[in-house]
Formats: sequence, C-alpha cells, structure tokens
Amino acid sequence: MSRAPTVVDRRIALGLGLATFVVLWATERQVGFVRDESVYFAAAEQFSRWWSLLFHRPAAALSDPVITQAFDFNHEHPMLMKSLFGWSHALFHQTLGLVRPAAGFRLPAFAVAALIPALLHLWGSALWSRRAGLFAALSFFVVPRQFFHAHLSAFDMPVAAMWLLVAYLFWRAAEDVRLSPWTGVAFGLALATKHNAFFLPVVLLPFGVLGSWRVAGDVGRRVLVRMGQTAVAFLGYLALLLVVKGRTELVQSWQPLSPQTFGVVALVAGLTVLSAQLHHRDRAAFVRIAPLVAMGLIGPVVFFVHWPWLWYHPVDRLAWYFDFHATHVHYAWTYFNEVLRAPPFPLAYVFVVTALTLPVSLLLPMTAGLLRSSARSLGDLVPALARRFGRGGETEWLLLVNALFSILLISHPEVPHFGGVKHWLPSMPFLALLAGREFDRASDGLSSALRLTARRSTAASILLGGLVLLPAFTLTVHVHPYGTSAYGELAGGIPGAASLGLQRQFWSNNVTGVLPWIDANSRPGAHLWLHEVNGLSFRDYQRNDMLRKDVFPAGGPEDADLAAVQYHQEFREQEVQVWQAFGTWVPSTGLYIDETPQVVVYRRSAP
Amino acid sequence: MNETAHRLRTAAPALALGIVALLGLGFQLQLPRAFPSDADYRAVAGALATARAPGDVVLLHPWWTERARLFVPADLPVVGYLGDTRDDLLSHPRIWVLANERLPRTPDADFRRNFLPDRTPAGPAQQFGPLTLTPYRNGRARRVVLSAIDVLDRLEVSVEGSGGAPAQPCRRNGARVQCPFDASVEVAWHEVLYQPVRCLFLVPPGGGRTVTLRLPEAPAADALLLEAGITWEHAWLPGRADVQLQLESPAGNLHLRIPGAHEGLVHGETPAVAAGPWTLRITTANPQDRQVCIRLRALGGPP
Repeated sequence: MSRAPTVVDRRIALGLGLATFVVLWATERQVGFVRDESVYFAAAEQFSRWWSLLFHRPAAALSDPVITQAFDFNHEHPMLMKSLFGWSHALFHQTLGLVRPAAGFRLPAFAVAALIPALLHLWGSALWSRRAGLFAALSFFVVPRQFFHAHLSAFDMPVAAMWLLVAYLFWRAAEDVRLSPWTGVAFGLALATKHNAFFLPVVLLPFGVLGSWRVAGDVGRRVLVRMGQTAVAFLGYLALLLVVKGRTELVQSWQPLSPQTFGVVALVAGLTVLSAQLHHRDRAAFVRIAPLVAMGLIGPVVFFVHWPWLWYHPVDRLAWYFDFHATHVHYAWTYFNEVLRAPPFPLAYVFVVTALTLPVSLLLPMTAGLLRSSARSLGDLVPALARRFGRGGETEWLLLVNALFSILLISHPEVPHFGGVKHWLPSMPFLALLAGREFDRASDGLSSALRLTARRSTAASILLGGLVLLPAFTLTVHVHPYGTSAYGELAGGIPGAASLGLQRQFWSNNVTGVLPWIDANSRPGAHLWLHEVNGLSFRDYQRNDMLRKDVFPAGGPEDADLAAVQYHQEFREQEVQVWQAFGTWVPSTGLYIDETPQVVVYRRSAP
Repeated sequence: MNETAHRLRTAAPALALGIVALLGLGFQLQLPRAFPSDADYRAVAGALATARAPGDVVLLHPWWTERARLFVPADLPVVGYLGDTRDDLLSHPRIWVLANERLPRTPDADFRRNFLPDRTPAGPAQQFGPLTLTPYRNGRARRVVLSAIDVLDRLEVSVEGSGGAPAQPCRRNGARVQCPFDASVEVAWHEVLYQPVRCLFLVPPGGGRTVTLRLPEAPAADALLLEAGITWEHAWLPGRADVQLQLESPAGNLHLRIPGAHEGLVHGETPAVAAGPWTLRITTANPQDRQVCIRLRALGGPP
C-alpha cells in the first residue's frame, strides 16, 4: 500500500488543520499568560525590531554587537517560533490592528499546532484507514492539557508538531526519495524550535541504517560500512581531542582553522562522498538512508542560519546552549504529597502522571495501542508473539519507539520533572495514532459482530467515536482555560488529584480567573501583588485589557493592597505571609476549580 | 452458542471502549453533586456562629477544601493543611470537622488513623448539601497557661558570643526585637512543613553566637512544651547547619536539635514546672536559611 495520502485524505487533513487553527484562535482569549510566554512575547518583539533594522540598515543589523544586543535576551531557546511570534504580532496587531497583542503573538503557535491533527490523519489513514486517521486526529486536541498547551506562544506543542512532521516525512521518504530533502529541512526547523529535536537522530538513525542495510547489495553494504567507519572515526577523533584538550579547552580553542573544524569538515565531506557513491552504486540502499543524510547536511545548516546569535560565536554559544539544558535547574513539583525538589525522581512519574491526566476513554485505546504495538514489534523477534499478535515490521517499530522515546527520556530520574506533561508531548501524537488503530479495530469488530451494511457501519463508527471522544471533550470544555490543573477520571478529576497530593497547577496563568474580580474591586492606584506572575505578564494582562491599567504591581504582600496567591504546595509560606501582612486569614475571593483552591485573593484590612 | 460467543468476542473492544467512555461520562456527570453551593457554606457558617464557643476550631476534611474560609466566621480559626489530621490542636477543646466525603479520593483512612484517636463526637452531625459538620471533643487538648508569643514584650532578649564574651542586649523596634549580628525576634505567621504557625520567628545571629530569650517570671504548669522548626522551603536545603535549642526552667534543662535537613517541627516537653524564670537559648553554627519558628507554651491539665 502506498504511503502517500489520497486526495480526499489530503483535503480532510487540510480541513482538520484549518478547524484546529480556528478553534484555537476562538478560544485563546481566556488563556492566561504563562510565566515563560510573556518572556517569549518580549523576546519576539525585540527580535522583530532587529528584523526591521535588517530591512532598513542591513550592515548595522548584521554586526556582532548589534546581533548580540538583539538576541542575547532569552538565548536559552532558538529563534524559529519567537521570530514567527514577532512577525505575526508586527503584522496582525501592530500593522493591521486585526487582533489583540496576545493573539498576534499566538497565531503562529496555532498554525504549527494545527499540523498535528493534519499529520495524524495523513499517517493514520495511510497506515490503517480513514477512520483510524480521523480518530487519531480528533483525539489529540480533546485532551485538556494538550488543548491548553496548543494555545501558548511557547515551544512545547510546536516541537511536538515538528517531531511528528520529521518522523512522518522520514517514513514517507523511505518510499519517495524526493521527500528526503524535506525531511532535512523539517529536522532543521525542529532544531530551531526546541532542543528536544536533537534527540531525533538518535531515534531515527537505527531505522535509516537498518532499512538501508536490509535492501543493500554487497557493494551498497561495503559503502554503508565505510560510512559507519567514518562516523566512528570522527567520534574517536573527538574523544581524543577531549582527552588531550579537555572540554573547556576544546570549546575555547575551536577556530575556523583548528583540529576541531578539520574533524567536522572531514566527517561531512566523507559522508557526503560516500552518500554520493551509494547513490551511484546502490540506489535502493541510498533511498533508505537519504533522509538521514539530508537531516545531517541540511538540519544543522537551517539551525545555524536561522539563529543570528550563533553567527559570530558558534562554538562557545552552542556549548552554552547545550550546557544550559543539560544542567537545567529543578523546580519544585508535588507528587503524591511529596514536594520533589531534586533528583533522583521517581521512575514511574511520567507514566503515572500521563495516566492520571488523560481522559480515561482515551487512555484505554492508547494503552491498548501501545501494548499491541509492543507485542507486534517484539513479534519480529519472538515467534510466539508473532503468532498471537502478528509481526510488526519497520513502521510498527518506528511508531512504538517514537511513542515511548520522550516518555522514557523524561522518566530518567536525573532529568527535571517539572512542567506537567509538556516535556514529553512529542510522544503524545504517536500515542494518539496508536489509539486510532485500536479504535479502528474496535469499530471493525463492532460492524462485523452486528453484520452491519457499509452505511450502517459508518454510522456505528461515528456513534462509537463520538461516545469515546465525548468524555474527553466535556473535560476539556469544563477545565478550559485552566489546562495545567486538568486531571482525568482515574485521578478522580481535579478534586481527586488534590486529595492524592498531585501538583495543583503551574505557570501562573490561572490568575485570569480572579482578574475580573480584582478589576471590579480595586481602587485606582491600588497596589496588587500577583504571586508567581512575573512583571512582563502583569504588563501583558494590562495591555490586553485583562487587568485595569490604573493598578500597580507590588513586590510582595508587605506593600500590597490586594494579593492573589497561587496555590502551590511549596509556596504555602507566601500565603501565610499575606495573612501576616494583611492581618487576616479570610480570603476575599478566589478561583476554586471543582472546589480546589487555585488562586486565593486577599484584601488588606482597613486600618 | 459458538456464533454468539464469537460475535461477542469480536465486539468486545468496542464494548470496552463504550463502557469506559460511559463510565467516564458518568463520573463527570455525578461529580458536581459533590460540590457544595455558596448557600451550603453559608448555612454551615450560620450553624457555627450559633453553636461556637471560645476555643473552638474548624478542621477541614479533606484538608485542601479551603473554599470554606470564605464563609466561616472571620474570628473562628480554620485549620486546613497537608498533614493536619496529625495536629493535636491542643489549645482547642472542641473541633468542628467540616467534611465533604462525597469528593473523590477523600483520604478517610488518614482521617481515621490520625484524627479520630482521642477525639469523640460532641454532638450530632449536621448535613449541609454534601458537607457534614460534626463537633468533636478534643481529648488531646490542654489548658494553655502561658504562650511565649503572648509575652514578647516581657522577654529579655540578648546575644551571647561563643567565647564567653559578655551578652549584648537587643532593642525593640516596633513589633520586632532587633539584635546585634543581624539577629531578630518577632511574633509572626510562618509556614513549617505546610503548617501555618503563629510563633516566635527568630533570625539567628552569625558566627555561632547564641540568642537568649529570658522570661523572668513564669507561672507553674504541668509541663512546658517547646516546638521549633525551620520555616518554608529552607528546611530541606542540603548542607545547612543544625539549630540547637536549650530551655532552662525550674523543671530542669530541655535540649532540642533541629537537624540540618529536617522538615517540620521538633518538640520536647518538660515535667511539671514550678513558677520561676525560663531561659531559652538558640544557637546555630551558620545562620544561612535557618530562620526558626518557635512555640513555647506552659500547659495545664485538660480544659
């Protein structure tokens, strides 16, 4: 069966993407500004000013000091999404005045998130059926936390979309070599979105190499061996340099003419020549490895070119970038009544939190899909499993590995565990895809058992699909826009999660629930302490007309007239400090979702 | 028969999906029944206002149901923090438990294990929507003869050097007692392992010096109860110094140690004590992140 989608499925995918974009846009106004988002807003504005300078005074814009000044802010993350946020804000808000400032920044995030259901449909329909593709696509954004993250001008949902795009193109390119360069471009864009993408080669390399090896003839295999030897030689050379120079010296002494540069050039040149040989001598083997070659050649170029901050100091700034993420600070996180503050973190954390935050009607097909995929993949190695579940083959392995990789990576006890589910979002589209297959099988079984005609079978599938998606949909509607507070039925919903002692919320955006009360109940000139809301977010609430402009930020409860405290287990002291400063333990109002305190507002007692 | 079994087996995945979806929907539909209305809370507040007595306290079950704070009479203490079922609430002879057992995963086992011992119902339970209000006689209550937070203005506070240097007196600055070497003492609310505690809040001096709090005249009591803990998130920080507390009273010496990474209150109790002075000395080798919340109370018998 061809991996290319049919015309109808392309249209369905387009429709799904457009619908997703529209729904996200229509529901964004209620979503508060998470702590990081306002930083990205500010960065995006700053970068868009640089692009304007580049247009008007290119020589000045391209100088090292100007680039450093423009891009130094928030250089923890690459530029692709922030550039898109900035351009969109400049065009749709500042120039055309079509949208409020926040929507101007967020539109590109909606567009990138909209790729996910489109790609899920394309992939699912090609693999199994249109029904599977549609279910996978629809199921993704009825998960409350996923729907929430898709609204943000951040990088977690975009990198999940990019990861899916790269994996999909990689899979397609195995059949159609014309898609290989696009795989490389997509990989570059993924690198330019968030650092998760640096793990993509780890995931895809075995598939490209083994796929190529399997179809290669003797000549092709000799070339592949040489390619492997070249890569190993490079790693050996790098290791030698590390031993001789040490890590710091290796970075500091990296110049255009240096042993380090020689090593990289030799690697790239060697692999390019060998790829050309493979293309010439064994076309079938080349087709299978071409996406990897494209990722290796095009990806880093896209990443480097898109980020001016790297242009004058590529090595030391890249080293800083990797260092920052390799040694990221651990934020406190509540898990079963324990505040996790430092590694080692519980091994089961990611699996448990995934299970407790997903609506149970989606958790079931995802889990079944994952188990089936595991059994079928292992069926390639264990005949008994193959007899029971069938053999998986390359695609099954590809889906399985991608579904598990981010989950397992974050499960490592030394990796930071804050941030709810957002750090393993790249796994979730693949779980949705596997759930799509389970739904397809279930629908098929139902039609077969009831001996339904084709038309009735379609109707039954729609009914079953609607039934399965409905709990997730209602949960999402219920909790929106407070997605970081969402928990599924297995946890007992939001109140059940509170009793279990799970993280109540994070990222401070739930403060939107009390801003209307504050607007109505604060005097002009009042000082307001929005706990956990950073200064940039405070400004963004005001400039988006979500908070009166005549109230002023307070640095803490001592100099505040009103205080809105975010409920976090690790921040209890700050609420108690409000009691102390305001002389009362009685709140004036609060955001209580399903009875759980999320944001509690206090007003200073009259003197 | 075989045919029916085969058809059932074929339809089983769809049935499973459908049943789980219905269960999910059912859960969501019934969940709002567990949420009290404002009117329910107001009725609770009315009942409390009518029946309350001095020394009463309200305990929330589950502990996090703090929306009740919006409604409970402002001068009636409300206790709701992670771990509160273990709180002796010893200054409160009667505890009003405001429970919502319709909420999912309500920690009833914890309540039975930690709260109920020594507590007996002191009246009938009243129902207000999903809320149940039950008064309990607190068998762990003690009469508080004196609490150090009430006598800050009578405390003589000084800082002593480690090498026998003469004590340097502290001076009062508003509600705070300000000492040399950046030490201070005041009465304030602080959190110790999620528990809000109104306590003597002590910032210890540097250089291994000792803060001394002396109460020249204190009444006789059945016991002195000393509790102390590091505030907020500083407690768990690794590599921080111990804090030593030494209480001298007519009952003898009581020594407490807050270990470096200890979270929560440590406590110790003296035997019966005659009237006389109390002297509490607090020392730490390094004051970094060692702000201490101290409760020192003279206790009598059951109220």
